[in-house]
Amino acid sequence: MAEKSIAKTASREEELKKVSRAMLMRQLLPAVGLVAVFIVFNILTKGRMVSKFSLVMSQVYVTMIASTGVFFIMTMGGLDFSQGSILGMASIVVCMVSKVSIPLSILAGIGTGAAIGAMNGFFYVNRKIKSFIVTICTMFLFRGIIKYMTSNSPVMGDIKLTMLGMNETLKMICTLVVIVLGLLAFRFTKFGIHLKAIGAGEKAAKYAGIRTDRMKFLVYVLAGAITGFAAFINAIKVGSVTASGGNQLETQILIALVLGGMPISGGAKSSFLNVIIGSLLYTVLISGLNMMGLTTQAMQLVQGVVFLIFVTVFADRQSLQVIK
Amino acid sequence: MSEVRLQIQHLSKTFGITKAVQDVSFTINKGEIHALIGENGSGKSTLTNMLTGIYSIDSGHFILDGKEIHPKNQVAANDEGVSIIVQELGTLSGLTVAENIFLGHEDRFVHMGIKNTNAMNREAQKLLDDYGFGRIKAGDMVDDYNFEDRKLVEIVKATYFKPKIVVVDETTTALSQEGREELYKVMKRIRGEGGTIIFISHDLEEVLRLSDTITILRDGVYIDTVAASQVSEEDLKRLMVGREVTGNYYRADYGEAVSKEVVLSVKDVTVPGQIEHVSFDLHKGEILGFGGLSESGMHEVGKACFGASFDRTGSVTLADGTPINSIPAAISHSIAYTSKDRDNESVVMNQSIGDNICLPSLDALRSVGCFLSGKKMKNFANKYAKEMSVKMVNTDQFVSDLSGGNKQKVVLARWIGKDSDILVLDSPTRGIDIKVKQDIYQLMDQMRKEGKSIIMISEELMELIGMCDRILIMKDGKISGELERNQDLDENSLIEKMV
Repeated sequence: MAEKSIAKTASREEELKKVSRAMLMRQLLPAVGLVAVFIVFNILTKGRMVSKFSLVMSQVYVTMIASTGVFFIMTMGGLDFSQGSILGMASIVVCMVSKVSIPLSILAGIGTGAAIGAMNGFFYVNRKIKSFIVTICTMFLFRGIIKYMTSNSPVMGDIKLTMLGMNETLKMICTLVVIVLGLLAFRFTKFGIHLKAIGAGEKAAKYAGIRTDRMKFLVYVLAGAITGFAAFINAIKVGSVTASGGNQLETQILIALVLGGMPISGGAKSSFLNVIIGSLLYTVLISGLNMMGLTTQAMQLVQGVVFLIFVTVFADRQSLQVIK
Repeated sequence: MSEVRLQIQHLSKTFGITKAVQDVSFTINKGEIHALIGENGSGKSTLTNMLTGIYSIDSGHFILDGKEIHPKNQVAANDEGVSIIVQELGTLSGLTVAENIFLGHEDRFVHMGIKNTNAMNREAQKLLDDYGFGRIKAGDMVDDYNFEDRKLVEIVKATYFKPKIVVVDETTTALSQEGREELYKVMKRIRGEGGTIIFISHDLEEVLRLSDTITILRDGVYIDTVAASQVSEEDLKRLMVGREVTGNYYRADYGEAVSKEVVLSVKDVTVPGQIEHVSFDLHKGEILGFGGLSESGMHEVGKACFGASFDRTGSVTLADGTPINSIPAAISHSIAYTSKDRDNESVVMNQSIGDNICLPSLDALRSVGCFLSGKKMKNFANKYAKEMSVKMVNTDQFVSDLSGGNKQKVVLARWIGKDSDILVLDSPTRGIDIKVKQDIYQLMDQMRKEGKSIIMISEELMELIGMCDRILIMKDGKISGELERNQDLDENSLIEKMV
């Protein structure tokens, strides 16, 4: 009898080890993928990727900053498709206000993003509409406004704004600040644990004392504000906003996060590394394909295939039904 | 010796790490009502669900009349001659009575691709009349009938085709006295015709009165099969629990005076559609019980005390007059709550045991500023998980892996860690095996002695009688009676006030 129970515990531990090995694989895959993709593209482009590394990096900033906010939203089980329109809208505001004052334009961008985020949050939390429906609506709404505002000519930023765009260090520091703050808040304060709890079981989280509705609303505002800040980086990079400003940012973020190993339904398995590795992997992948001379159409096709594969690998099938 | 109908051989089923049924073997004869009894989680329903094709079989065999069966679904089970009447509502809304009765067997009425609705209704009506349920009309929508009548429709659906075995799974608890009598009649008729009934019920008195043979399961293991005529209710309880059910299973004291100090005062609380004008006081060191039928509103009382009721009027206040109007207010004033719906409202399923235990106490687990201390969290989680002896590998394990009893322990560990003074426990032992149950009772007794106050809401009358200083009975959203702790209290005195 005793032997039997020992054998049972042993097989149980064996089982758990297998599970944790699978978990480890899943955690490591994105990092390994990043290195592998980087090496493969370097070989294919004969080292051009290393030589133009700063150019590759300059593509990563906006995606990485905006991914941070969406990461918070996705951790608590929501989605946000309005990010591209938020970026476009906030970029227009940044460009317009930059003629008055640069610091003021940063604040205005953040404010614009936060306001659109608040609108998302209001309809999602107070009017109880699924987040992806709400954000698809706001995506179209603000895309419309962007097109209207840029119908005659692109909205130009002040010349001082464009000058800042030369400064790569500034962009990198801005990105680092957002990433470090996000990492600290998510890993080391109750903010992260509360977000994960909402994603893993909202009702139970509420009964454990988390003000879930307020939290959900504020996270949408926060994600909007963060993307509003990314709009400043975007504006100094491009100098002007056209009708397609920020177009498809939401899909880029989604693909980046999923490439980074983010479970699409969020919850306790979300890790902040998903943001960092994911946006790097996405950028390397896109730049690599670009350098190899792929057409835009072909790139979309490749993106779609890669996205599908990663979603299949990382989907947490137990909790898929909780996407809100 | 009567003929064998069903042989169950070495049957096993596991859910994750929970062994629901372990190597169970016994036989069931023709022409008998065979009762299956056991505590919650003993594996009765798992076993019959495998027989009726609702769950797949992990290992083992069902031999029906000499032929092995392994039905893939309920319709396939029907074709093998096995049907089931369940506890919950088993009819489908939006279909007629006749369509429900012949669900999955519509082919009988289909000719050249066209369903002959008239023939179907005629046939169904004939069956209903035969059963004596003529007031139910076959062509009506099933939604037009109340719960009780829909249950009768299910009885017809499960038995009209003269199945070899009918499983009656805790159906009687959902029925009124008249409904039960109808069901008993059908059961006896099937037995008379040589059919077999597998009867699952928690009501031992009913089991003894109706059945011929009784099989007892405990923690998924087969214990014994006995003839109903040769055992008493006490024998059955002993077999179910595994030892004499006396002594300190519940708390043993009687006649201890409860402090007069009020810790929580509920005044004139109304939640529309749930409870009306409920008022009571909870005293220091008291275990206050709430009993009643599931829909009596008693579960909502628990939510109201925790600030979790939507649209509540009236007041819930602490001794010093502090109002409790929201969950965070309740928690910060040392009120704890465990829900009846454990998986959705108590534990965060897809999160680690550690995070689950630490959730309400995070503010106390900081190192500097608003930063949390990982070490403090780990120690805190380990300490209280150990104190509650949660069966786990470590605190990083996800709660979704745990059995019901262990999930409940995690919730209790969370609130003990928070050092709550007022505990609202809604169905704390629901679906939990007997050992953990006893642990929880002992914990409650200990907390009471430490001066903590407990509101215990339960559908199990025996545990209310065994544990509470005072029991309030709810009926139709109102308090319908109050009983003091007393050695002579029995279930009937509670039931009288419930219905």
